[in-house]
Amino acid sequence: MKNNQPARRLGLRGWVYAGKYSFERYLYLGHRLSGLGLVAYMVLHIVETANRMRGEQAWAELMALFASPPFKVIEYLLFALAVFHAMNGIRLFLVELAFFSGKPQEPVYPYKSSVLKHRPLTYVVMILAGLLMALGGSSLFFP
Amino acid sequence: MRETRFWSLHILVVPLILILLGAHFAIMHYAPIFYAMSVEKAREFATMIERGKSVGQFVIYILLLAAGLYHGLYGTRGILRELPLPATLAKWVDVGMVIFGVTIFALGVYVTWWTFSFDWGG
Repeated sequence: MKNNQPARRLGLRGWVYAGKYSFERYLYLGHRLSGLGLVAYMVLHIVETANRMRGEQAWAELMALFASPPFKVIEYLLFALAVFHAMNGIRLFLVELAFFSGKPQEPVYPYKSSVLKHRPLTYVVMILAGLLMALGGSSLFFP
Repeated sequence: MRETRFWSLHILVVPLILILLGAHFAIMHYAPIFYAMSVEKAREFATMIERGKSVGQFVIYILLLAAGLYHGLYGTRGILRELPLPATLAKWVDVGMVIFGVTIFALGVYVTWWTFSFDWGG
């Protein structure tokens, strides 16, 4: 299989190089990075929870470590990553299924971008994500 | 067609992850809001064992484990396969992802089963 398509030739650079950047392009990058972060965390989380098999004392020590301020901040960052990834994923799901994209039209010049048609959805979803992050942060740091 | 099925499954598990991860967050991280229980209490060994002995909890965790790992590792595989890799290496990415996923899933299932069958006297 030859990898001679321009997009693939760009490799990792293709993630951030999109010529004329738009808001959605940054969301795309954020979705990928947050996804990779969450996968790494999920694997660590599965391994870390296996610590319970070492007994009650070992578990209590681990939980005490996680209750320390640095881990609280990390926990919140993970929560924020999960909220961003989930909310942006819902947006992608809706756009993928052609919701909020308007009715199909003849491709007559000057072409209209479907991205602009669902831009309001993008803003609403991101505002909701911001609210959820703020709510999660307030209950985590000020219980 | 096989790739379409993999991709569709990756999308179809999303509602399951949203519901189950939401429940996981509610139980483990936001227990004061949803269960009137402190986070420290929710994470105590005894509380965790008591929770883990419920059949519902056991099923929820196995499903979340399977759905989360599949969604995450399929996404990672997609990112890696977009790189200009030689065909042989691309094939190894697939094989590596399956082996890694099955290993982590097996560990997760074993820990969940260990909790489910925990005996205080044993």
